[in-house]
Amino acid sequence: MVSICLCSPFSCHTVCTKHCSHQQVGYTSLLIPAGKTLPTFTTAELGTSNSSANFTFPGYPVHVPAGVTLQMASGYLYKVNVPIMVTQTSGRASILQHPFQQVFQQLGQPSIIQTSIPQLNPWCLQATTEKSQRMETVLQQPVVLRSGTVDRKRLENATGDTLLHPGNQHKIMSEALLSQTENSQYISLSGVVFPPQLSQMDSNVEPVLSVSASMTQNLHGGPLSTGPQGAQHQHTPDVQLRVLKNRMCGCDSVKQPRNTEEPSSLPLSKKDSNSQMDLSLQVTDDDINEIIQIDGTGDTASNDEIGSTRDVDENKFLGITDAGDLKVLEEASSISNEDSMANSSDNEDPQVDLVEEDPLNSGDDVSEQDVPDLFDTDNVIVCQYEKIHRSKNKWKFYLKDGIMCFGGRDYVFAKAVGDAEW
Amino acid sequence: MAHQLHRNTTLGNSLQESLDELIQSQQITRQLALQVLLQFDKAIYSVLVQKVRNRVNSRGSLNTYRFCDNVWTFVLNDVEFREVTELDKVKIVASCDGKNTGSNTTE
Repeated sequence: MVSICLCSPFSCHTVCTKHCSHQQVGYTSLLIPAGKTLPTFTTAELGTSNSSANFTFPGYPVHVPAGVTLQMASGYLYKVNVPIMVTQTSGRASILQHPFQQVFQQLGQPSIIQTSIPQLNPWCLQATTEKSQRMETVLQQPVVLRSGTVDRKRLENATGDTLLHPGNQHKIMSEALLSQTENSQYISLSGVVFPPQLSQMDSNVEPVLSVSASMTQNLHGGPLSTGPQGAQHQHTPDVQLRVLKNRMCGCDSVKQPRNTEEPSSLPLSKKDSNSQMDLSLQVTDDDINEIIQIDGTGDTASNDEIGSTRDVDENKFLGITDAGDLKVLEEASSISNEDSMANSSDNEDPQVDLVEEDPLNSGDDVSEQDVPDLFDTDNVIVCQYEKIHRSKNKWKFYLKDGIMCFGGRDYVFAKAVGDAEW
Repeated sequence: MAHQLHRNTTLGNSLQESLDELIQSQQITRQLALQVLLQFDKAIYSVLVQKVRNRVNSRGSLNTYRFCDNVWTFVLNDVEFREVTELDKVKIVASCDGKNTGSNTTE
């Protein structure tokens, strides 16, 4: 079993000691149920030590500084802002489809969830108010899957977390989805369905924005690959979105992974490429009121500026220029036309300057009916030339062996001498 | 020497049209038609060289001249052609036009 433990040296003492014997700063680990094929997790991705992680047990906000590893253990709910990059190996649809039901169950959690979902891994990624932190969800992966090791009694703990047994994913999913109440919500992250946090969560427990965001992303994103999950996922957009909306309102700083490109678990290969990128990217979900934009902050270019500058050189971007600049652009474009095309007669320029240029160049072309019409005639002589002579503008032709066609009649000659003045 | 210069004459065009009709009606192959045209080029050239003995004079004004790929192309305006033919023996019979009132017998 690959052990990927997210351990926080601070708050996870109790947890870590129970589950992980090691606590390492900057070490990210994920617990993966035995017997399951493991998607590849790159520790480098996971161990991004850029941001601090907030671990929030239900009712226990825990802040973990950057580089802290967060351990997700069964029975415990972690809300982590640690950017976690989890890449998926190609193909393991079965794994990815493990639905995670995040049940933030306080005491008194409806038993439906517990019963229907024997093992759920409530893996909550909490969006902390810290805006600098990003959450790169490992959610794309069925990161924390514990099979059989989950103590169901833990479900009844304050955390009320339940791990989802991957084996029962479909069933669980169906049940979970069907049994969705306001308490339980499913968040599908790149094919993995995480039940979003329930309303029962305390105010401290913020919704798993990253997860939920990804979920919404998935929901919006489109086809969920697997049949049951897909259908179910799509069935529950409303509930989820509603809850998410409620959740996300308060969460400003969440930098949520973008899972728009990850509609389903089946296109894993797609996720592989996108997973790393998406996690760190911003969420474009409209439901999220505030989106923390990581990139593009330094951009200052405006369309107007670019468009105006371009139009001087090219005439392609006239559409995006301001009306105020049109006049200048027209002048510039017309001037550029003059320079490039060198056909002043073709330009209809109201500008005075350009109008003056027209008569200057208008007399360059003398004959315009030269090529197409001039050579089109019925009187043709086809022959061979012996000599062509010219003196100034006096031409002499010495021709031979020719066939002449005049007025529909053909003539032949052995020799022909012609004089012409040009 | 058998350049395809004379194919654009009335005779050459007529030949090509006829060959195209035969090709369309599947009576001859395209390759055969090409061979026919090549033979035409040779034949027309040999005839012009051997059989034709006349001479033509022309006079006009030159509008344009072009020389490309070793081919001259002229466009003349108001051209007058005069054909000159060499003959071995010519007999001319001319009568009086009635101006002389006296006797017009000549020795």
